[in-house]
Amino acid sequence: MLSRVADSLYWMSRYLERAEHSARLIAVKLESMIEQTQEDSEASWLRVIAALSGEELAPASADAFAVTRALAFEPANPSSLVASVRQARDNARQVREQISTEMWEHLNRLYLRLAPVKTESVWVHQPARLFRDVVDDINLFEGITFSTMRHGEGWHFIALGRYIERAQLVSRLLDLHFGTMPSGIAERTPPPKYFDWIVLLKFCTAFEAYTKVYTANVVPSRIAEFLLFDAEFPHAARFAVDRIQEALSHVAPVAPPARRAACERLAGRLKANFDYGQIDELAAGDLDRFLAGIVRQCEGIHEAVYAAYIAYGAETVL
Amino acid sequence: MGPLSPHTSHMQKDLRGNTRDFGGTVPAEAIRAGARPGKDVPYENYTLGPAYDEMFDSNGCVRPHYAALHSRLAQLAPAELIRRQQACETSFLHQGITFTVYDDEKSGGQATERIIPTDLLPRVVTAAEWARVEAGLTQRIRALNLFLRDIYTDARVLADGVVPRALIYGSKHYRREMRGLAVPHGAYVNVCGSDLIRGIDGRFVVLEDNLRVPSGVSYMLANREVVRRAFPGVFRSSGVRPIDHYPEALLATLAAIASFQEDVSIAVLSPGVFNSAYFEHAFLARQMGVELVEGRDLLVNDNVVYARTTSGLKRVDVIYRRIDDDFVDPLHFRPDSSLGVPGLFNAYRAGNVVVANALGTGVADDKAVYAYVPKLIRYYLSEDPILDSIETFLCREPDQLSHVLANLDSLVVKAVGESGGYGMLVGPHASKAEREAFAVRLKADPANYVAQPTIALSTAPCYVDGAVEPRHVDLRPFILTAEETVIVPGALTRVALKRGSLVVNSSQGGGSKDTWVLSA
Repeated sequence: MLSRVADSLYWMSRYLERAEHSARLIAVKLESMIEQTQEDSEASWLRVIAALSGEELAPASADAFAVTRALAFEPANPSSLVASVRQARDNARQVREQISTEMWEHLNRLYLRLAPVKTESVWVHQPARLFRDVVDDINLFEGITFSTMRHGEGWHFIALGRYIERAQLVSRLLDLHFGTMPSGIAERTPPPKYFDWIVLLKFCTAFEAYTKVYTANVVPSRIAEFLLFDAEFPHAARFAVDRIQEALSHVAPVAPPARRAACERLAGRLKANFDYGQIDELAAGDLDRFLAGIVRQCEGIHEAVYAAYIAYGAETVL
Repeated sequence: MGPLSPHTSHMQKDLRGNTRDFGGTVPAEAIRAGARPGKDVPYENYTLGPAYDEMFDSNGCVRPHYAALHSRLAQLAPAELIRRQQACETSFLHQGITFTVYDDEKSGGQATERIIPTDLLPRVVTAAEWARVEAGLTQRIRALNLFLRDIYTDARVLADGVVPRALIYGSKHYRREMRGLAVPHGAYVNVCGSDLIRGIDGRFVVLEDNLRVPSGVSYMLANREVVRRAFPGVFRSSGVRPIDHYPEALLATLAAIASFQEDVSIAVLSPGVFNSAYFEHAFLARQMGVELVEGRDLLVNDNVVYARTTSGLKRVDVIYRRIDDDFVDPLHFRPDSSLGVPGLFNAYRAGNVVVANALGTGVADDKAVYAYVPKLIRYYLSEDPILDSIETFLCREPDQLSHVLANLDSLVVKAVGESGGYGMLVGPHASKAEREAFAVRLKADPANYVAQPTIALSTAPCYVDGAVEPRHVDLRPFILTAEETVIVPGALTRVALKRGSLVVNSSQGGGSKDTWVLSA
């Protein structure tokens, strides 16, 4: 597979994962805010803002309309929902011949439908609906990809992009609930309350899955355990890390072993964190560091993949 | 035709007559089978001019090969036609068959995407007309390939005085680098897109040969997809010859020029996603199942071309390049090109990679060389040209220049090296001031211009603003040549969408439509 193609498939997938995450957080927040007090709702919006935007781009107010506009549709925000979908679609367009027509047309239609949307028109009637539809559309895209594309190297680069992004996003979200909030908004965000823990599960489409394992007994440390260590739930960090390792064992199948070694070593080390980590120890004080470590190790894997397979110098292989 | 020629579909024959178009018909008593141009719905705005009309003869009677479409259009409720046109446009948009417009005023600096205008109504060509076009173009490409081989080797044609030396050696498209280089099967032009038009007498004549990197074949195929869906009944009952095997035929052509035949690695070289024909590059690569590459994906080491893959470097044997000569290799041609591959030309010269089309083919589609093509056919093949060319005045010749200057109001003057309808004066449509300004440019650099009589391109029915109206069209078939020449029975019909306009180029407001070549 061409390195450029792998690069585009990987980023298409990362941007879609990011878009789905954004749409899901906004939808859940819009749906849940009516059950919260003004103060609690604002604190919870601030967590969403921190999860979805770089600090310099964070909207100043926690007003639902302004935040939704900034996080979803603001043209100047390069990490808005629409921008993520556009980036995914632009990457797909660059590898138009590599993905199936069904995949391309589905993604293209999603982009064409989303690009002209104005916050005002969404606000008129059930604003969460649009974001739920985007989540559905991206899930559908994953299904279309699963059933129309060869499960070859390109498919594994798509998986790699999705799960590296997912492991980072879920770690960041956990950090915003269990760790300390970034300075600037920490003063305005009281610690999560009972309802916030339910919202956190819903942010990760995990509420129903959690209750099946732990019953409806909502305990923060169990939530952390579930979202970090569950090996069978697709939005748990551990599930993502297992998929990263799996994807890495399939990409660049005929590359010499020496070039594969760095990536596989890093993925193995990341997985070991989960194989030997325990929530009791982490809850005793190391959770912050553990979460930051996941994010950092994912970045390390990304860099190793680029060095080995995508942006390598020609002189290293001639 | 080679082994790739289409089989007449038996299934298609069996289905004839028992399939009807779906939906939206007007009541039976209102069916106007004999709907006349300029009088009856939906042809009330159909004004026949002096040009040859594809659907109606000069008496306003429907030509037999258009009868099915003509009566179907008269039966369709206007709302239904609008619905089908919209469905066609939506389909193009979703497929991403678009070009990008950067409109700062409206969208706040954001790029918007527009579809290339497509007309829903097919243009129909009879089997007999097509047979002549096919034979004529096959003859023409044989002569042009022989001519290219000649001027890049012995230059007999120049020594014999058939074509003036200055015309060839003075052309900016003549590539000295190609001298003495053997090209597989002598096929310099593997993919050609020739533009044909019909004069007032209805005969097809060649207007232009596009021998460099002709585009548009993806529109030929995409138009077929949507039009077949819009008029399934008429399509089936008409016996339209299939064109879907074009990518397969192109692949066979590219494989045939490789220096070996086992495990040939073929790639389509595109300038990238910002090129207006990117859709086509990706489409062809996908349909052929070969890699789509950009310059940055390739590198040359020891005169061998490699693609950079996740598993290391992979050799490339044949490149179907959709990049102009000038940009192919910054070491040999334009040094500022970032689209090309440094060292590609050396690899080509060393015989380690085959490039299609060969470099330097542009010298033969020059508008001045065009005037010599009938002579070239006689010179190389000892045959009379099957298809005529248009009478062409070479302004480099003083007597012809004075004729052109005296008749500017009736001639079309074209700059020799330009394409896409640029640098052109359409005498009858220009103002006096425009003609005078053009005359000054003409006198300053006469060798850069040729002139031709203004030909009223034929008109074909088009669906415009809710009615069926005539618009001027041309015809661009695609000719594939390796050892043999293959022409898929279809073409891109380009349409001048503005009423009365003769300019069909997509860069200047032209659109396109599907072309149906009938099997009988």
